[in-house]
Amino acid sequence: MMQVGKIITISDISVEIILSDNSLKIGDILEVEGNSKYLFEVVEINNISAVCLSLYSTRGLQKGSTVIKKSDELEIEYSDKILGRVFNSYGDVIDGLPFESEKKVKVSNSTVSLKEVKASNEPLWTGIKVIDFFAPLQKGFKMGLLGGAGVGKTVLIKELIHNIYASSKSNAVFVGAGERSREGKELYEDMKSSDLLDKMTMVFGQMGDNPVSRSKSVTTGLRMAEYLRDEKGQDVLIFIDNIYRFIQAKAEIATELKELLIENGYPSNMASEISSIEERINSNDKGSITSFQAIYIPADDLSDDAVQTVMSYMDGQIVLDRKVAELGLYPAIDVFKSTSRLVDAEKIGERHFNLVERVLAMLTRYEELEEIIAVLGIEELSEDDKLVFYRSRKLRNYFSQPMFVAESFTNIKGEFVDIKDILDDVENILNGKYDNVDESKFRYIGKYHE
Amino acid sequence: MILALMKGMCDMDNKIDKKLEDIKNNDNVYSVGKVIKVNPYTVIVSGLADITYYEEVNIADKAKGFVFAVGKNTVTVSLVEVGSKINPGDLVYSLKKQFKCLFSMDSMGKVIDIFGNDLIAGKKFDNLVEVPIENEPIPIMDRGLVTREFLTGITGIDMLYPIGRGQRQLIIGDKKTGKTQIALDAIVNQKDKNMVCIYVALGKTKKEVKDIYLELAKRGASSYTIVIASFNDELPNRTYLTPYVALSIAESMMLDSYDVLVVIDDLKKHADVYRQISLASRKTPGRDAYPSDIFYAHSKMLEKGCQHKDGGSITILPIVETKSSDITDYISTNIISICDGQLVLSSKNFARGEKPALNYGLSVSRLGGNVQSSDMKRVGSLVRNKLLDYLEVRDIYELANFDEMSPELQMRMKNGKIILEKLKQYKFAPKSKEEMLKLYEFLEVGDNDASR
Repeated sequence: MMQVGKIITISDISVEIILSDNSLKIGDILEVEGNSKYLFEVVEINNISAVCLSLYSTRGLQKGSTVIKKSDELEIEYSDKILGRVFNSYGDVIDGLPFESEKKVKVSNSTVSLKEVKASNEPLWTGIKVIDFFAPLQKGFKMGLLGGAGVGKTVLIKELIHNIYASSKSNAVFVGAGERSREGKELYEDMKSSDLLDKMTMVFGQMGDNPVSRSKSVTTGLRMAEYLRDEKGQDVLIFIDNIYRFIQAKAEIATELKELLIENGYPSNMASEISSIEERINSNDKGSITSFQAIYIPADDLSDDAVQTVMSYMDGQIVLDRKVAELGLYPAIDVFKSTSRLVDAEKIGERHFNLVERVLAMLTRYEELEEIIAVLGIEELSEDDKLVFYRSRKLRNYFSQPMFVAESFTNIKGEFVDIKDILDDVENILNGKYDNVDESKFRYIGKYHE
Repeated sequence: MILALMKGMCDMDNKIDKKLEDIKNNDNVYSVGKVIKVNPYTVIVSGLADITYYEEVNIADKAKGFVFAVGKNTVTVSLVEVGSKINPGDLVYSLKKQFKCLFSMDSMGKVIDIFGNDLIAGKKFDNLVEVPIENEPIPIMDRGLVTREFLTGITGIDMLYPIGRGQRQLIIGDKKTGKTQIALDAIVNQKDKNMVCIYVALGKTKKEVKDIYLELAKRGASSYTIVIASFNDELPNRTYLTPYVALSIAESMMLDSYDVLVVIDDLKKHADVYRQISLASRKTPGRDAYPSDIFYAHSKMLEKGCQHKDGGSITILPIVETKSSDITDYISTNIISICDGQLVLSSKNFARGEKPALNYGLSVSRLGGNVQSSDMKRVGSLVRNKLLDYLEVRDIYELANFDEMSPELQMRMKNGKIILEKLKQYKFAPKSKEEMLKLYEFLEVGDNDASR
């Protein structure tokens, strides 16, 4: 193999190489001669040296080591062989089972052009009341699931996998980016035991891995979804948990490479980094990609730059709120901030649209009333306000739901609720049909049974 | 027992002496460098042309450190032990081995540091083994499911927000809300449960650590507990490394099929020490001036928490101290997002005498009933549901007339009050599962409306 140079600087995730050969290109994969556990990707190059990111730990690497070129770029499997298998961020199979490659391609790809991109599609119901009511979606949508730490993003992602993927014929890709390994393993075991693994591909670059691995898991998973869309013409589902970790990892890399950072330590090219991912997650003539992307909110700060930049690509957003979680109402969704492009009388129909408007108006009044009650007590309210108060509480309870994947928390079997039932129930609560029913009867139910 | 865990004993001092002898005889001159700049926690060294990353170095017999960055002409060495003052021009010897810490098999029941010292006796152990400061991440496929219970003896935890072996459960709250106490309760409750406990004290005062040590000894926890401490008057690099080394020790035990509990008290101090080191080495700071890889610093540490497929496990209870009950600051949310749940302690509850001062609304266990026995799971979810419902209703109807409420609401209020009362539990007063279940028997009896 071709010797390209010698290592002269080493840090946690990067090395610099003095070049003895000028044929290197950005993206080339290098390895230390005689020790394949040290692998690098070229990210900067000039006529005497190259800066590389290390794919694995650099500990124990010796200054002056000779480096050879391994391949032109990271490559991943591009065939049906990916289904039912688990990969790391660099496209290696990690589930411990034998693997024979059929066809490999480079991991990078172009974004979908304006000419190719396909905009509208048929609706896609999730069976989760609060999503279908406030933020309904359609095939090819990008749904952002936003939430601070520990308010239920991952449970919701798992419920969506359960409700949508399990009942569809589509293939799916799950990307674990910078999240918990324990959850990754649990999902794998779940899929295996419910016989769903064979149409799914999993890619993991979890939070114990270095930032290079965490950021690359997204592109690797995406390339596999593109295979399913372009070569098999499918309506593909991709679940990314968590897209924020991609930017976080890029920020770590940018600091390490001594780039100038913007506020809160984010890389200055954040917008283009996110765009290069999001503009690939699109539908074209061959098939569609529907994506669910969990978005972590650092320090519960919804105005965070990275969060806002990712959000601008989403067709819909589901915002999880710590205050709702505190009440024990799951999924803990902030109904005022959760919405989608479909919430429009022309798209979901006048009845649904009007109900959403009425519910939001009522809940807004409820929030005001709560403040009044905190001072004066409930008895001081006018009769009209009392009705608003009691009906709102029923609505709020109604939008909690037993979830299939949360059975171990609630001890209640999950339920898939039809949109027709949701609209009927909400209408009935609003119109006062259930004024004599205790509010606790609406907590953790599917559709309402009298 | 543990003694059998560590293999390959060696006598470090001899090895260093021999190396120094070699160097004096010019056997490997090429690996000698010279100090050119002395910083508070690092030194910059010229030479050492064939050094490896994270190699151990000796600085003129005055100090010890490891290679933290390899530059074009210089090498940055992080200091971990400094005997006397380092001067520019001092010779630096590379030891041709990766930097490792030391651990003795006799540490059980002792307070130790990561360099093999028995801090109470004030001397080095004599049978030391080397421990790597950090291993590769545990592969995802080597993990098993977290399903075995880890009982703390505290009703509000074991019943409502249960912990499993291999889980990472954060304990978070203001100063003086009983965070450390919950961890100590959990340790004491592991008696006769085949669990090795490691309590890692970071940046605590010496008095505090001695108190904890005596308390554990008094409660009979010494035979299975190791206290690993690092104090603020030591080099910050030591405090930074201590939890990683503690988890390396735990990892080797786990791979030998032991169940290990690691308490890290606390990670906010660890974050601050890492910030101190990182700013001193002139790295560009990120949010709140913490280094941009502060999340990774904690995620790679806490990802060691694991139920291994071969049987052993590491359960981690990290502790984070907050200010003014704000759990949404940068470091707290980072760590919450890594852990498998959090026990939030409230200073208001603490002052009211509701101890343990858990905030039942904000606490979470992501594993929930998966780690509970079926009766604990059934009763636990019933109690949690009713309690949360009560806590919310309580505030709203605070000023309302009780007699005018619907019978259903009256029942909810009454039951809620009893549930809350029964969660009160004094320190070091562990309850068995049977005792906990008995407390809430009344909820499952038929004459209670609210349970339907």
